[in-house]
Amino acid sequence: MSQIVLSLGFGLVTASILALGAVGFTLQFGVTNLFNLAFGENMTVAMFVAYLAMVTLHWNMWWAMLAGGVAGSVLSLGLSRLIYLPFLRRGTSQFAMVMVTVAVSFIIKNVLQMFSNGTYYSYQLPPEPSIHVLGMVFDQRQLVIIGLAVAALLGLHLMFKYTRLGKAMRATSDNGPLARSVGIPTERIISAVWLISGLLAGLAGVGLAIDLGSFQSVTGGSYLMLIVAAAVFGSVGEPYGAMAGALVIGIVSEVAAIYNPQLKDVVAFAILVLVLLLRPEGLRAGRVQMRAEVAV
Amino acid sequence: MSSAVSSYVATLMAYLAINGIACWALNLQFGVGGVMNFAFIIYQALGAYITAVLTLPPAKTLADETYILGWHLPWPLPLAGAAVAGALLALAVGSFALRPRRRDFQATVMLVVSIIAATLVSTEQGWFNGNQGLFGIPQPFASSLGLSIAGYDWFFVGIAAAFAAVAWFLTARLVGAPWGRRLRAMRENADAIESLGTNTRRESLKVYVIGGAIGAVSGGLLVEMIAAWSPAAWGTGETFIYFVAIIVGGLGNGFGALFGAFLVLGVFLELPTFLPQMSNANIEESLQSAFIGVLILVFLWWRPQGIFPERRRRLSRLLSTADREAAVVSAAEAARDRAVDTGVAAVLAEERAPAPVQARASATLSVRDLRVGFGGVQAVDGLSFDLLPGQATGLIGPNGAGKSTALRLIAGAVRPQGGQVLVDGTDVAGWPAYKVAGLGVIRTFQHTSEFGKLTVLENLLAAAPRQKGDSAAGALLGPRHARRRQQELLAQAWALLVDFGLTAHADTYAGQLSGGQRRLVEIMRSLMAEPRLLLLDEPMAGVNPTLRLTIEEHLKRLRDSGLTMLMIEHELSSVERVCDSVIVMAQGKLLATGTMAELRANQEVVSAYLAG
Repeated sequence: MSQIVLSLGFGLVTASILALGAVGFTLQFGVTNLFNLAFGENMTVAMFVAYLAMVTLHWNMWWAMLAGGVAGSVLSLGLSRLIYLPFLRRGTSQFAMVMVTVAVSFIIKNVLQMFSNGTYYSYQLPPEPSIHVLGMVFDQRQLVIIGLAVAALLGLHLMFKYTRLGKAMRATSDNGPLARSVGIPTERIISAVWLISGLLAGLAGVGLAIDLGSFQSVTGGSYLMLIVAAAVFGSVGEPYGAMAGALVIGIVSEVAAIYNPQLKDVVAFAILVLVLLLRPEGLRAGRVQMRAEVAV
Repeated sequence: MSSAVSSYVATLMAYLAINGIACWALNLQFGVGGVMNFAFIIYQALGAYITAVLTLPPAKTLADETYILGWHLPWPLPLAGAAVAGALLALAVGSFALRPRRRDFQATVMLVVSIIAATLVSTEQGWFNGNQGLFGIPQPFASSLGLSIAGYDWFFVGIAAAFAAVAWFLTARLVGAPWGRRLRAMRENADAIESLGTNTRRESLKVYVIGGAIGAVSGGLLVEMIAAWSPAAWGTGETFIYFVAIIVGGLGNGFGALFGAFLVLGVFLELPTFLPQMSNANIEESLQSAFIGVLILVFLWWRPQGIFPERRRRLSRLLSTADREAAVVSAAEAARDRAVDTGVAAVLAEERAPAPVQARASATLSVRDLRVGFGGVQAVDGLSFDLLPGQATGLIGPNGAGKSTALRLIAGAVRPQGGQVLVDGTDVAGWPAYKVAGLGVIRTFQHTSEFGKLTVLENLLAAAPRQKGDSAAGALLGPRHARRRQQELLAQAWALLVDFGLTAHADTYAGQLSGGQRRLVEIMRSLMAEPRLLLLDEPMAGVNPTLRLTIEEHLKRLRDSGLTMLMIEHELSSVERVCDSVIVMAQGKLLATGTMAELRANQEVVSAYLAG
């Protein structure tokens, strides 16, 4: 029993990282309609930037995290401006766009690989005393990750609900052409989405690297699958669905890891298969169906 | 030629043949069927493993090697086993991965499958010896032939080439048949072909299973050539190398796929072995992979159709001059009949127009209390109406009234949350779109939905039901089996082209036509589907005024020929000219019915329009 409670704690940390990533991924998809398989490399680049800040420049963890987030943001906007948008303007098909993101992922991953040559990097953070909360054990850094995720997601929630930018994002996500026709500057909204989703990717990346203790050039890419599973779970394009997906997949996979650590990903995958069999377009499917009809 | 060089050339050739088979499999799935199989490599891997464990004797418990089966079967049974295993795995994976309608979802699910498969196989020691993998797999006839190494390599080239020839023959037949055309139509626009009566989920699954089996055979041949197999040989990234090969070669072109296999897998991946050794093998590998990414971008930017683009099928060549003349005559006759009908219709006009209640039993379509909502908005809210046979009915109302949603509900594109849709008395509410279309309820789309990379004639033929060779099995029977029905359909399609004045564009890709011409193609296409009830969603939207009148004329003639139609249209003068009666919707509900003249007098209707 105590073991389950213990892994519940790990599950919360994993869920936090997943939620940051999945919300970023799903927000990006909802607004830009691009299934971005280079999202994981955004995370990896942020890990490296945070590493440079922390280990080479000796910044403290907070500033390094921020640097990672900003790097994710800048890379995200840069890729959209330099690569994705030009391809979209050329009328590249939906399938081909997925291949474009695969290509970007290949290039970033392998360039990083060439420079790092497969090395595992660690932020070399000093050991910390553990903190007990309701039978769960965390170290401070894990609490920071959870807090960061909660703060970021709460901020997003408030933004969606109360700010003009957030409302415009929801409108653009629901129906881009209609949003444009009622005077929402969708171009600028889309840029903002690239920035914000990149920031979330960056934070998720640095959080993941802190939680794992070390990372390498393929870490973000391999983690993307869990993020996608969480996003699909909640219907891609639905930020709140993605949060729910992250929580379920994070906790279930960590609990499953008690029995066999190798099972972690397999269980996440089994959840994904189950959801697809029951609700092919994810749990919050009704709205997405409507949007797909509009987007044709 | 020294024996080492001879052996090397032979190995390269066998490798090319095997990769050609793999590329044809993927090309069939993705290039033709549009299924983005990001798990392709696991089919090759499974084929290799199954071939290995069916060829090997039972695992020696003393040696540090464990694997399942170990049946020690004679050649070529292990390859047959690989094909069966590949088909079964594809059936299992496809049954959930192909469920989402968006193909990028499907692709991602398959990518996840691929990663999980790699994890499972490398950790489950008992299946295929985990990370160490299998080795020492006997090559077919190697011990009994007694050839030199180079000699045997050339013998194996023969085996691989024979399999490649069979794979070429099979895939060419599948792609060339009416079924292949249906697959290409599905690739271009799955919703449209579904609305014409194709169960796209099932057809995708079929092409996925066939491709899975062929991919597995390529894996089987690969393991027979290299005699060893382990997880290192089939990383998830390998799938993308095959994708690059067929994109570079040319999607949908069998020869292009082979050339892509040669260029990318042969030249490009083999070439570095001739270059001076780099200091670090890992760096070389990364450089190669990064270059694969660059290659994808370069081709998708400058030459998305590949080096050898998909062949344009000029079907009009299959029509003899006599066929064409006959089509012109039959189109003229049809027009004359309609002209006569129109004359009669004018006489009968009073009988035709308002006949609402008494004929309910014989209504072609009865909608009863239909409802659906999206996230709090009740888009269609208790809608009921009848369509009488042979009548053209307009569906009008302000923006957001729920007209298009109502049409989609009737056609099965959206699932209703309540109510009935009776087509000739059969309740089809909740049926999938292809089944509704099977009853002859054919829908056109608000946004043009032509199959862009199919010619106009192909667009028409893709919609026709009951074609020979329009199933995987039928396709394998070859072109002769399908020919007679094809000629009939071609003649029928040509008559339509004559009628609609598009014969000059018979062999043009539909995607290259103007917006108005595409509308015409869409209407002709739905006529080829033998509709009992035609649902038209703004058939004249975005069409220039001249063409608008042409479309109107055609619709009027269709009406006069007795086709039942329901048409959404904003231009009320068009509605008045084409439709016998009109249904007005507002806020998801029926507001009024009647002739256009009656509605003009109806204050409620006028204010709804003004308010809307």
